[in-house]
Amino acid sequence: MKSLGHLITLGILVTFLYFVSVGEAYAYLDPGTGSYMFQLAIALLAGGFFAIKLYWRRIKAFFGSVLSKRKNGGKNSD
Amino acid sequence: MSFQKEKMVGKTVTSRRIPSSFRDPSGFLFFREGSIYRQVNTVYKEDYDRLMSCGLYEALVDTRVLIPHQEVDVESVKSDEAYKVIEPEPVPCISYPYEWCFSQLKDAALATLKIQKISLDHGMSLKDCSAYNIQFRKGRPLFIDTLSFEKYREGEPWVAYRQFCQHFLAPLALMSCKDIRLNQLLRVHIDGVPLDLASSLLPFRTRFVFSLLSHIHLHAKSQKYYAGKTVDTSTHRMAHRSFLGLIDSLESAVKKLTWEPQGTEWAEYYKDTSYSPNALRHKRELASELLDRVNAKIVWDLGANVGMFSRIAAGKGIATVSFDIDPAAVEKNYLECVRRGETNILPLVFDLTNPSPNIGWENQERMSLLERGPADTVLALALIHHLAIANNLPLERIASFLGRICSSLIIEFVPKSDSQVERLLSTREDIFPEYTQEAFESEFGRYFSIQSSVRIRDSERTLYLMRKRET
Repeated sequence: MKSLGHLITLGILVTFLYFVSVGEAYAYLDPGTGSYMFQLAIALLAGGFFAIKLYWRRIKAFFGSVLSKRKNGGKNSD
Repeated sequence: MSFQKEKMVGKTVTSRRIPSSFRDPSGFLFFREGSIYRQVNTVYKEDYDRLMSCGLYEALVDTRVLIPHQEVDVESVKSDEAYKVIEPEPVPCISYPYEWCFSQLKDAALATLKIQKISLDHGMSLKDCSAYNIQFRKGRPLFIDTLSFEKYREGEPWVAYRQFCQHFLAPLALMSCKDIRLNQLLRVHIDGVPLDLASSLLPFRTRFVFSLLSHIHLHAKSQKYYAGKTVDTSTHRMAHRSFLGLIDSLESAVKKLTWEPQGTEWAEYYKDTSYSPNALRHKRELASELLDRVNAKIVWDLGANVGMFSRIAAGKGIATVSFDIDPAAVEKNYLECVRRGETNILPLVFDLTNPSPNIGWENQERMSLLERGPADTVLALALIHHLAIANNLPLERIASFLGRICSSLIIEFVPKSDSQVERLLSTREDIFPEYTQEAFESEFGRYFSIQSSVRIRDSERTLYLMRKRET
């Protein structure tokens, strides 16, 4: 939970920095640390979306199969 | 333009390392007597064995996204570090991301992500996803670095995330949202487009596209914020589901980026040309006959536009590289290759007046156009007037250059009286008194012997077949 809180704080901080700071970049400094930290934050969010997407697909597939069964059932009874 | 070019030109070569293969401690590529091999170093033994035994290698080769190889008993260049030597299947034509059109780079990006997803299913992960690890073979993107896989360790983030954003997402976003020509930034920045640069160049509206806001704009801000700071990475973990979510998010970001090839001068060339249907038909017949006469194995079609004449060569089973300066023409050519499932054409974006140089460490990591030659045959159709008149290149220099990149030349001379040349001269002073058919034959005759010349019906143009003179 500690790391989750840290990542959320990081996310808010980066978002805040994005909107308030404009300046030149320091390309000669290693960008790896920023990428590493950012990846943790965005992957947490993307992981959540991914889970929702998977559940949504399952729900759609479930109702899809129920509806097709009903349709087939209807056709058979004709 | 081949890893095996030394074999083709018949040189005898002893073992030597390929200059571009030095960054990865896992192994390296080397030539030995005309063939290319990859040494697997002992340090990579565990991951190599895992790749071959866990089913991942078969899965990727079956999906046609990884280059197949064979383990061979060949002496290595540095045998004290060698675990195994493998011989990958040859790649006929080497190309680089700054020579690809939009859809080639996009397909390369999606192939990389597909490989990463299959790898994760097998408990492995890509440790390197440089765009240079992709080559186009048989019309489709193929991952060529067999040593880029490592064991996936639960909790660890994706070590190649930044590289993917720099090599694929940033240039694709710039090409799609700003200007198609910005893929040329890859020629300057060999490790991909720096994200702060991409962020500053992208239009403001891209900040309202979540995938670009996150993977490029906020990512760049984070890089800047943490620059020079030390972070204890041992306290952070990334769940497997988050890893999958990240790949899914990148895949969705890439898929959403689109570009319509239209409106450029050359992509509409055949709709707005001086050829009558009869002339075009005759030119196609002549080109086909001449290609049969030279019995080419590799053709470079210079100024290929959307590949009409490249397709004649490719239809004969000839490996054809279809060069054009116009990204829209190359895009249309590539999409046609994909649509028709063509395997012998490689369309590339190329400015012949400023061809790809040697770049990278010691100017040896990425080969120049000349280094990738020579081709058996060059097609230079409706090209000479653009070089001589639009670019002020003397005929002698054009002949000399073409003599360096091919042994047979099928070239079309377009005289000043042709409507296309008249159009070129309408906006510039005619400072080209030397541009005559006699001078053309004389200058080219210094480097080539003229085998045949045929006037194209219903036109002012002449098609020549020339053979390079022995020096």
